[in-house]
Amino acid sequence: MSDFVNEGHYEALWPRSPRQVQLQPLAQRLDTLEGKTIAQLWDFVFRGDEVYALLEEGLKTRYPNIRWVSYKEFGNTHGGEEREVVASLARRFKELEVDASISGMGA
Amino acid sequence: MLRASAAAEAAGVPSSSLVCEGFLGLAASTSVGLGVPNIPIATVPGHTGVQGKEELRRNILGVTMDEVIRNLTREPKAASEESEPGARDIVAQGGFDEVNRYFYEHELSDGLPIVPPTRERVEQFLRFTDRDADEVISIMLPDSRAATIWSIAVNGVMAGCRPEYMPVLVALVEAMADPYYGVEHSGNTPGGETLIVLNGPIIKELGFNYTQGVMRDGFLPNTSVGRFWRLYLRNVAGFLPHKNDKATFGNTWRVVVAENEDVVKDIGWEPLSADMGFASGENTVTISRFTGGNHISSISGSTPEEMLPYLADAVVRQHSWQIMFTVGQGMGTLRPLILLGPIIARVIAGWGWSKQQLQRYLYDHARIPAHQYERILRDWTAKPTWNLEEEVRLGRIPRVFFESGDPNRMVPLVWDPEDYMIVVTGDPARNSAYVFAHNGVLGYPVTRKISATPQSVRRALREKAGHVAAP
Repeated sequence: MSDFVNEGHYEALWPRSPRQVQLQPLAQRLDTLEGKTIAQLWDFVFRGDEVYALLEEGLKTRYPNIRWVSYKEFGNTHGGEEREVVASLARRFKELEVDASISGMGA
Repeated sequence: MLRASAAAEAAGVPSSSLVCEGFLGLAASTSVGLGVPNIPIATVPGHTGVQGKEELRRNILGVTMDEVIRNLTREPKAASEESEPGARDIVAQGGFDEVNRYFYEHELSDGLPIVPPTRERVEQFLRFTDRDADEVISIMLPDSRAATIWSIAVNGVMAGCRPEYMPVLVALVEAMADPYYGVEHSGNTPGGETLIVLNGPIIKELGFNYTQGVMRDGFLPNTSVGRFWRLYLRNVAGFLPHKNDKATFGNTWRVVVAENEDVVKDIGWEPLSADMGFASGENTVTISRFTGGNHISSISGSTPEEMLPYLADAVVRQHSWQIMFTVGQGMGTLRPLILLGPIIARVIAGWGWSKQQLQRYLYDHARIPAHQYERILRDWTAKPTWNLEEEVRLGRIPRVFFESGDPNRMVPLVWDPEDYMIVVTGDPARNSAYVFAHNGVLGYPVTRKISATPQSVRRALREKAGHVAAP
């Protein structure tokens, strides 16, 4: 037996609203990290400074000529500076000849 | 963080995002709203905040690094779009229980029964605004959905609001969309909840409670408008628990707090709306997010000097890691809010104190030792050194944070006295206050004027000789 008490009849509308974003293509991946310049982006939480130090150490053993641009070059990607920092990334990457980026540390 | 990676991809630079394990669900949801559902993620096992150096090293070099390499050198799998209903589509038909089951199972409700949003009810709400139903107020992050007048009406119906609340609901969504408020941060882990403060004659016209039990459910306008806020965050902005809403514990939504403007006027102060830049007597909503708060019971004394040390001490005790919004991630964006019981406000004002003097008192006396300040910042961020002297020297924070080298010098919780928000409300006959700890830049205070209901509707309501007076 159904638990429902089906009083009345309703035609209920969808309470969401259409998404206004289209699928964006991702950038072409690199053939190797050897000799490439990698930007570090950080939201200044969850020990990202230590994580980047470890990644630098580990990746150098596999790609001796990898180069890094420190998170200090870009500023905090979260919080009060976020909008300006994120908006400036394309320009900064070009200036710093960045080939790829890593962004940490939350979501 | 994913927004930075999405910007990199858009600039033609491949990215890899480092995501702690507990945030993977959040990353999956956020990436859809950014239009990059296949953006590559590298897992950071566990949470770095509780790992020793060796464990962190094992995790990064043993797990994360390989994923970073893969993310930057291998093509990600192709993305696909999921199909969704249209804005005016009927998604559930049937009896009350059937409709509610559909809404609950499709994550469209907060768990309580909703009022089925039928076209007829939605159209009743739309009568209370001059705005076109399809007008887009903003594209609301993180889901990137259009915040339309139509969607406001639909969610207002669901929340149990009355149609005449529509101008309040529209103002709230306009405030939600203000970049200074930062709606995109509404799913952050402290789980702060928005408090809506209402000002103006609309308080009485719509029957909002502004006296005893002002934060208690049981008053239709206060309760249903508060519920609307959370439903709109869920359904249009896209904050669903276990997805874009990453609150560690969370809070339920707060009912609307209306200011007691009779008392404010009587004691010669201005309402919060005036402090926020609007004319006294204008109908406004003010929103800001608070991580928590506490009732400060029995503030005793017959002069401000007798009463306020206890209140200043209580303000300090509500704040811990939140000072990172004063020095750190937010930089001067901490805005504590104090609900002041009317009889306390009367005593303070009775001695000739303005609200500005009260704010100044809190700025001067709600302080903590500099060494403690630096320790809290260090503990919160795990950054080994926080040095207020250096921050002042670099011009990043005001000089008041380093007026001497004494580690025991007392430093304020906020940058300016005006950062304290004061609202007179609550039980008119009880000498208590309520202090809210603010969520800084991740829910900064924003005020919006409430537009008047169309003249034609006001006339119709008057003619109906109904009990409702439209704003």
